[in-house]
Amino acid sequence: MKLKNIRQDDNISELLKTDLNKGFRLLVETYSQKLYWHIRRLVILHEDADDALQNTFINVWKSIGNFRSESSLYTWLYTIATNEALALINKRKRNAAVSIDDLGRYFASSQEGSTWFDGDEAQLKLQNAILKLPDKQRIVFNLKYFDEMTYEEMSKVLKTSEGALKASYHHAVKKIEKIIVSD
Amino acid sequence: MKKLNDIPQKNPFKVPDSYFEDVNRKIISATSGYDQEVRKVSIYRRFRTNLLIAASVAGLIIISYSAIKLLTPDKRNLQVSEVLHEINPDSYINDIDISSLEVDASSILPSEEGPDVSKNDIIDYLLLNNVEINDIYEHL
Repeated sequence: MKLKNIRQDDNISELLKTDLNKGFRLLVETYSQKLYWHIRRLVILHEDADDALQNTFINVWKSIGNFRSESSLYTWLYTIATNEALALINKRKRNAAVSIDDLGRYFASSQEGSTWFDGDEAQLKLQNAILKLPDKQRIVFNLKYFDEMTYEEMSKVLKTSEGALKASYHHAVKKIEKIIVSD
Repeated sequence: MKKLNDIPQKNPFKVPDSYFEDVNRKIISATSGYDQEVRKVSIYRRFRTNLLIAASVAGLIIISYSAIKLLTPDKRNLQVSEVLHEINPDSYINDIDISSLEVDASSILPSEEGPDVSKNDIIDYLLLNNVEINDIYEHL
């Protein structure tokens, strides 16, 4: 996490103590995009990401009294957002009608794909490869590769040791490269 | 394409125009209804630790008081035992220093070197007190 982001978190924490509504507004404005993209990369569809993002902030608001200012706001928010995304993925797994295991095929057959995805063939290959990873590896890969989160921060988000996360990322990269080459 | 590094790190997903402004507004308005609930919870959370400590201390005091009450002998019984202790001289025997007792006894018992009283003085004293002369000589 960059220094200016740490300072912004401190400002939000201070404002939450003095004026809850203003503090929460600043929190939403600061984090809505970051958390949206994190969720979107996991759930893929914009509609799902939109639902999960709103649920994330409603849960944040409901449990803001539990948040202790000495812990990291950034990792706390990512934990809640990750849980919301996983809940949505699990719900979708139970409903076989909306299974997304091949983005190319799904986007070709849906309006959503053509509207909200503008990646080239390489991007499509990468996203397809990421989709084939187990959920936990997928989260670790996304947080490291796209969000550039440190292993220390990630261990707080996922409640997993740094060593296990490093191993998980290493395996994810190997699998992705293997899938890309074979395609 | 063999390596991950060969693929440019780019976000391939899109969102509707002004999506983030709209969703921020939606979130703020959706959460405003929860205001009171959150404040109640946060006040409880803030004082929860203090409440737990106060309850623990109160519990400890009650347990200690009950334990003292149960384990301490009844005051009336104590008085009776003290009385029994007093009237039973044997119970004191170990508390008295035998050497001090000997010293005290020597001061009480008649000394061999007592005042010089002759037999005639005793006879005179007894006669003055109307004791029969025969009785006097019978004893002396």
